[in-house]
Amino acid sequence: MPKRANSFPEEVLEYVFSFIQTDQDRSSISTVCKSWYEIERWCRRRIFIGNCYAVSPRMLIRRFPDVRSIELKGKPHFADFNLVPEGWGGYVYPWIAAMASAYPWLEEIKLKRMVVTDETLELIAKSFKNMKLLVLSSCEGFSTDGLAAIAANCRNLRELDLHESDVEDLSGHWLSHFPDTYTSLVSLNIACLGSELSFSALERLVARCPNLRSLRLNRSVPLDRLANLLRLAPRLTDLGTGAYSAEWRPDVFAILSRAISGCKELKSLSGFWDVVPSYLPAIYSICPGLTSLNLSYATIQSPALVKLVSQCPNLQRLWVLDYIEDVGLDALAESCKDLRELRVFPSDPFVVEPNVSLTEQGLISVSEGCPKLHSVLYFCRQMSNDALITIARNQPNFTCFRLCIIEPKIPDYLTLQPFDVGFGAIVENCKNLRRLSVSGLLTDQAFDYIGTYGKKLEMLSIAFAGDSDLGLHHILSGCDNLRKLEIRDCPFGDKALLANAAKLETMRSLWMSSCSVSYGACKLLGQRLPRLNVEVIDERGHPESRPENSPVEKLYIYRSVAGPRFDMPGFVWTMDEDSALRVT
Amino acid sequence: MGRKAAAHSSSSSIDSSNHPDHHLPSPTASSSSSSLSRKINGNYCNSLSITRTDLSTDLRLGLSISTSHHSDLSSTSTPREQALINWPPIKSILRSTLAGRAADNRRHPSLFVKVYLEGIPIGRKLNLFDHDGYSALISSLCLMFKTTILCPENNHVHSDKYHVLTYEDQEGDWMLVGDVPWEIFLTTVKRLKITRADRC
Repeated sequence: MPKRANSFPEEVLEYVFSFIQTDQDRSSISTVCKSWYEIERWCRRRIFIGNCYAVSPRMLIRRFPDVRSIELKGKPHFADFNLVPEGWGGYVYPWIAAMASAYPWLEEIKLKRMVVTDETLELIAKSFKNMKLLVLSSCEGFSTDGLAAIAANCRNLRELDLHESDVEDLSGHWLSHFPDTYTSLVSLNIACLGSELSFSALERLVARCPNLRSLRLNRSVPLDRLANLLRLAPRLTDLGTGAYSAEWRPDVFAILSRAISGCKELKSLSGFWDVVPSYLPAIYSICPGLTSLNLSYATIQSPALVKLVSQCPNLQRLWVLDYIEDVGLDALAESCKDLRELRVFPSDPFVVEPNVSLTEQGLISVSEGCPKLHSVLYFCRQMSNDALITIARNQPNFTCFRLCIIEPKIPDYLTLQPFDVGFGAIVENCKNLRRLSVSGLLTDQAFDYIGTYGKKLEMLSIAFAGDSDLGLHHILSGCDNLRKLEIRDCPFGDKALLANAAKLETMRSLWMSSCSVSYGACKLLGQRLPRLNVEVIDERGHPESRPENSPVEKLYIYRSVAGPRFDMPGFVWTMDEDSALRVT
Repeated sequence: MGRKAAAHSSSSSIDSSNHPDHHLPSPTASSSSSSLSRKINGNYCNSLSITRTDLSTDLRLGLSISTSHHSDLSSTSTPREQALINWPPIKSILRSTLAGRAADNRRHPSLFVKVYLEGIPIGRKLNLFDHDGYSALISSLCLMFKTTILCPENNHVHSDKYHVLTYEDQEGDWMLVGDVPWEIFLTTVKRLKITRADRC
């Protein structure tokens, strides 16, 4: 009876498995039988760990002895908005230390929201001779000294991406640590660095790397330097322009235009931090080829934006500030029929009165005019249920719908009703919706709709919404595929959590801050569900110093096979069987 | 000790109100920390002896540092506004870019510096403009780092139980905080460090 499973030699099975790439499929193969489990684990090369505390380095290495690519995520998503206090955790050093000896052939490290130190970077530089790709997305804790170590030692590095990390920028000279013999760079993203780069080192680096295709510069690179770099790298497909700012000079403009038009393969543009609008026409020549445009930091007013987007008929992704206004979004809907993803950020989020004419109308236009639009992030100050219903009807293909009405708890501006039916229409019509963020005035009814129709929903973000535990109960009991739930400032408490405790083990994580979950309930959850880490985060001191029924500040619950972690700071406690006995 | 009792009872009344609007945000690292206006009597402070005064002086999204501004706010703020910490949900990189621009428009200035506690390599961020003076700053830090920081006026106590606050100025020198007027301090400070009192 085992004969059938072993009738193929291992090498053949391994070869077959090499065509199976996704984690879910790999997981499925490994459960077929013991021998497939064994073969699969020996030949799995890519690992994705969505929560670094869900499993330990030792467990990873024990199961998968020969990994070449690892992706790890640390802090919960709300850390992006400063809701996770610094020092919470997400340290990557223990992982790197363990992998340094176990995976000497590691080629790729991708980290998101983790704490990376210079020591870690030095260890990476020293331990992995074959390191090809290092992505540090929204990470922190390291300086340009650590980058210097990477530059100096990683001879085979192809990609270095510091995407939005918080780097202590000690000097721009780290770039000169790439040796003269180093020529393999394909992608470099240093847009987040604060200080001035060593321009000559940068130019020499770009000049000697013929395979460079993606270059995202930081704010310090002036326009004339940019032109030089583009002349040295005409085969770029992705450019982050840096500040895109200089005093207006026609000769600089002419040189820049020529340099940009020489980059005939440019598909993606970003940067434009301090953009001087008169220099914008320099990019017109390559606009027809653009598929992605990120103007999230650009103070460009609506007319110039209209002019720009009308020249980008192949645009698939646009990130822009609300300076684009409804009229600009109308133009976008007219010109960019291939648009897949739109993000509109608020240019002045801290005042109540609108500073631009961007309303629900803009979103209606694009939902109507762009048949392929499936992902939206939209900040605005007014919305109506009618608009949401229209949008849902126009575009049933949304996979990601994130609406942020800037003022919390405001109702439909036309009817003064909550947005229950509007979001209800979204979840009912958009049957493939995987990610949803809601805002505005919402009652428990909204969550009833979400629980009823949001069957494919994987990630849900809620703020300042709902009336009672019933709201949370609707979500936890209804959304079958929910993996990540993040909630802030909602009146959700113990009842819904305790009633749906088992559901929490089917999810990656739950975040609740400024809600009404009591310390007592947290203890109960921790005791009842050993495969969950129930973390109470409270900067007011040990929860034992307050009544059991008093709400905790923040709560982070995630499933884990590694048990409680040991690197918690003084304001985080894990509730477990001993939590009642543990003292600070 | 009467002070401590007062603080405790006021905080428990906040806890039991249980309504999101009355949530009192704690001074987390990189968010605008609550500029709970407080007076420090005595030579040191710790987290229990903070008196929480008017909730409406709570910081919302960056405010000017003058004390007169605080009293203006107390008449116009509403309970709802107190919960608007770290809202709307935009990443700090966009937030600081926009705040930087707004600062040019003199609307929402911010001055973030990193604060290190001796012995811990990872620093925390703090907006100095959230505070109206050294007292407020030290209170914030006491809460943030759960330690006792001596105020500048105090006679130096050489002990490993207490900490003092130092800062790195534009010249790269480390100075004891409190030597210069607050406004001048703001123009020269680069980062802060909390060191043990017996080391000074």
